[in-house]
Amino acid sequence: MNMILQGWGAYVRLTQKLPGIAALIPFIPVVAIWTAVAASGLFPRAFFPGPVDVVNSFMTLVYKGILPAYLQDSLIRLLNGAALGIAIGVPMGILIGTSKTAHRISWPVLLFFQAIGDIAWLPILLIWFGFGLTTMTFVIVYTVVFPVILNTVLGVESVPRDLARAARSLGASRARVLWEVTIPGALPNIITGLRNGLGYGWRALIAVEMIVGTSGIGFMMFDARRAGSVVEILVGMIILGLLWYIVDAWILAPIERATGQRWGLVLS
Amino acid sequence: MSSLTSTAMFVAPLLALLVIWAIIVPVFEINPRIFPSVGMVGSAAMDSIRDGTLIWHIGASLMRVGLGTIIGVVLAVPLGIAMGVSPGVSAFLTPLFRFFSVLAGIAWIPIATLWFGYGFGAIIFVIVNAVFFVVAYNTLLGVSTIPRSLRNAAASLGAGRWAILTQVLLPGALPNIVTGIRTGLGFAWRGLIAAEMIATNVGLGYMLFVARDFYRTEVIVLGMIIIGSIWLLIDRMLLVPLERATIERWGLVRRA
Repeated sequence: MNMILQGWGAYVRLTQKLPGIAALIPFIPVVAIWTAVAASGLFPRAFFPGPVDVVNSFMTLVYKGILPAYLQDSLIRLLNGAALGIAIGVPMGILIGTSKTAHRISWPVLLFFQAIGDIAWLPILLIWFGFGLTTMTFVIVYTVVFPVILNTVLGVESVPRDLARAARSLGASRARVLWEVTIPGALPNIITGLRNGLGYGWRALIAVEMIVGTSGIGFMMFDARRAGSVVEILVGMIILGLLWYIVDAWILAPIERATGQRWGLVLS
Repeated sequence: MSSLTSTAMFVAPLLALLVIWAIIVPVFEINPRIFPSVGMVGSAAMDSIRDGTLIWHIGASLMRVGLGTIIGVVLAVPLGIAMGVSPGVSAFLTPLFRFFSVLAGIAWIPIATLWFGYGFGAIIFVIVNAVFFVVAYNTLLGVSTIPRSLRNAAASLGAGRWAILTQVLLPGALPNIVTGIRTGLGFAWRGLIAAEMIATNVGLGYMLFVARDFYRTEVIVLGMIIIGSIWLLIDRMLLVPLERATIERWGLVRRA
């Protein structure tokens, strides 16, 4: 008992010194249990491979150059989709947020089209554009754009009207009010929307690659499924999880926190 | 009265969209293989209602989502609360749950279809998975945000473990749990459509994907409208009011 407590104490001290480790250590027992279950032979090895098999398979895939190429494809698709989604979503969100009439007209339509969901568009997109990049980009842009628009609208509306009025009465032009009051005020929400949108977009990308599939991580996983190779599916899943974890926890969440602190309208 | 007008305000833009669609398709003589006219979608709807396939597909999809969500929530809430009780344990487990909630849903489709074969089992697995990790993670968050002093106060007033669980922890975490269910269900619904396209022979996703093989755009558009309407109904009529009510009733909103 004492040993456990001492170990726990050491763990707590360690994680306080190096917060990065706290995110890694919890995975050690999971991998250990996984190894034990796989080694126990409870399930057939082909159905339930152990961590060593997965690492080996990862090495082979990297060595063959398949994995880096597919990963690059997936990331480029996601980035393109996200960039286009922001470029469309933020201006539309600001427009809708600043005009009451535009809001009233477009809000139900937005909600409805968001509700249809990315993947339901796939069949008709396949008819329109065929199996290819346009279809994938369309789906990702579609997924990213709605959370960005909806959150931008919320953000613009959360800026107190008095601030805009004050700036106006001090002689700021409309463009300046937009640039110096509305957009900074809405920024924390825009970032939140982007984070949600990318979360959905990432999943949509995987689904699209599975169905449309010519390359990419999703395609790799589904191709492995056809060949019955559980190991490669697991490699794909782990990469997906790790990658999004890194993007979300180390890039998006800090940006969100920073904009929230810098521009958030926290009323004290 | 006011709810009636707000409903009308909500429906009016959608009706306008319908009118635009009804005008544009015949005016520009759009090929029905590219986009169907309103009439075609309407008759496709009537046909599929009459021969019962539409109800059959909708029923299958709803049943899967309902069953999967219930299993997911029943598993996730107790686990989330058990984990959230100790701050050390919750700090330890948070990265794990974040990792797995990222994978939730669609990423499990290939392996689920290998493990359970194409069909019911794989789809339920994907939905349970999508709901489970998101709800468990949110429950964990909810429990760990309950101020420690509340629990201490209840304990010092003589509340037993059971009373603290049912009267402090569960209500305190409820807003987060409901938010988790809403997010999880959102992922589950998308995951369901994707899974049905890949791995089954009944359901809305399947209906869409089969229609694609025959270039029957009117069935596809009908399916999209139904998918959108169902999710809008579930979300706006059920989840959003539920979320608002729990936050108002049990949310730890501090007044300044």
